[in-house]
Amino acid sequence: MAHIHLPDGAFSVQWIITWWIIALVILGLCLYWLKKVKKIDNKTITLAAMLTAASFAIFQVNIPLFGGVHMNLTPLIGILAGPAIGGPIVLIVNILSAAIGHGGWGMVGANILVNMTEVSVAYGTYKALGKINLDTFSRAGIGTIAGLLFGSVTMILIILISGIQGVHQDVQTTLYGLSLLTAVNMGVAIVESVVTGYVVSYIYRVRPDILREAIPVAAAK
Amino acid sequence: MSDELSPHIPDLDLITFYSEKGTSLFSRISPWTKALMLVLIVLFVSLDKSLILAVCLYLIVLSLYGLSGLPLKKLFQWYTMPIIFVLSLVVILMWNEPGNPIFSLSMPYVSLILTDNGLLLLLTLLFKSLASVTFSLFFLMTTRYNYLSAMIYRVFPSPIDQIFLMSYRFIFITLKMVKSMIKALKSRGGGLLQSIRKQSKMFSEVFALTIIRSYDRADRVNKAMEARGFTGKYVAATRIPVIGTYEYFTMLLATVLMIYSIWFVKLPF
Repeated sequence: MAHIHLPDGAFSVQWIITWWIIALVILGLCLYWLKKVKKIDNKTITLAAMLTAASFAIFQVNIPLFGGVHMNLTPLIGILAGPAIGGPIVLIVNILSAAIGHGGWGMVGANILVNMTEVSVAYGTYKALGKINLDTFSRAGIGTIAGLLFGSVTMILIILISGIQGVHQDVQTTLYGLSLLTAVNMGVAIVESVVTGYVVSYIYRVRPDILREAIPVAAAK
Repeated sequence: MSDELSPHIPDLDLITFYSEKGTSLFSRISPWTKALMLVLIVLFVSLDKSLILAVCLYLIVLSLYGLSGLPLKKLFQWYTMPIIFVLSLVVILMWNEPGNPIFSLSMPYVSLILTDNGLLLLLTLLFKSLASVTFSLFFLMTTRYNYLSAMIYRVFPSPIDQIFLMSYRFIFITLKMVKSMIKALKSRGGGLLQSIRKQSKMFSEVFALTIIRSYDRADRVNKAMEARGFTGKYVAATRIPVIGTYEYFTMLLATVLMIYSIWFVKLPF
């Protein structure tokens, strides 16, 4: 997950408020869609809660690769739940993370924007690739890579626009540094895309109803 | 419990144990006061530019944590994650800051110079982060779940409050489920580093099973709740202790002290 791993105090107050306002507007749109368009039912609420808990629990698992990797699997939330339910989920996961050891309360607004980009791009790519009959593993993997890449770009834009208090580097040097970080992030993104690919194809084999997709008769046999 | 999953990630069971025990003086303070103090701390670290003030704030928060009888050794273990977060980005940005050079590294095409200002940037952000993380954990570990759930119910709009309240309860069940699956995986020889492909596949299947089981459990829980009259509104009706007069006074004093120290005290760094 391409989190903005900056602590409280890195952004100035005006930028903290700005990113929070934009995030709240996006969350407002998600809520409007859930209430007025989709007419959210009890089952969806319970499912969203379980997905939030699963995302948080999965983050606690240390995968022994490259010295230890943790994943929130945000693109997976997008693929499974879609962006509208994904909005409340990323808000809650970010608040829980800030409360339980990550800190960065001021960054929650900016992180919601990064995560919403991941959720939306992963969901859009996964659905779009479904139209060209690509297998589930590839669709989920490509969707995840695309989501995390766009998430990283959003993170870079947010940091470049806000600036970090106490950093006097010019934009070009900061961009160079952030690009290095994105390269490392994309290394982890490849692991995450493989994991997401396996997870989605496993769910597709065992419980396709969760993905709201029917298994083609030939594949099911 | 999370001890077995990742010892550097705060243990939710231990946090809940301390919050429900509620024997410290700070457990009797209104949760609203602690929440507003957290906002004040985030504001302070966002406005402050001095390392000395950041260290002072951290020491005050650490003292509060220690005075509450919360586990200090565990806290230092849990610092791993926020420290990694700060280092992962600031280590890249702290080079070539204007100031007195301390250390330089020359490589083809790139010359990296660490100055006193670069080092100050790293330390300042680190102490700000630790102050915020320590107070967050202090808040959680001295506030009963009933109060937290009532606050969530009052602060967030529906259905976010509903998803939040349910997910907090589900987290404990899901963590136990993940833990038992990881134990089963390890007892069958999994978990040891074999190859990236095998490793990814094994953990992916654990994650996939977590999601499938969570989905089924969500379905069962929903049916059970509907059978008991659940209509989509999960009410948290606990009365939250109101903010006392001395708490208002403490917050006012803290705000005045914050304004004074940030804008009127001149410090060397």
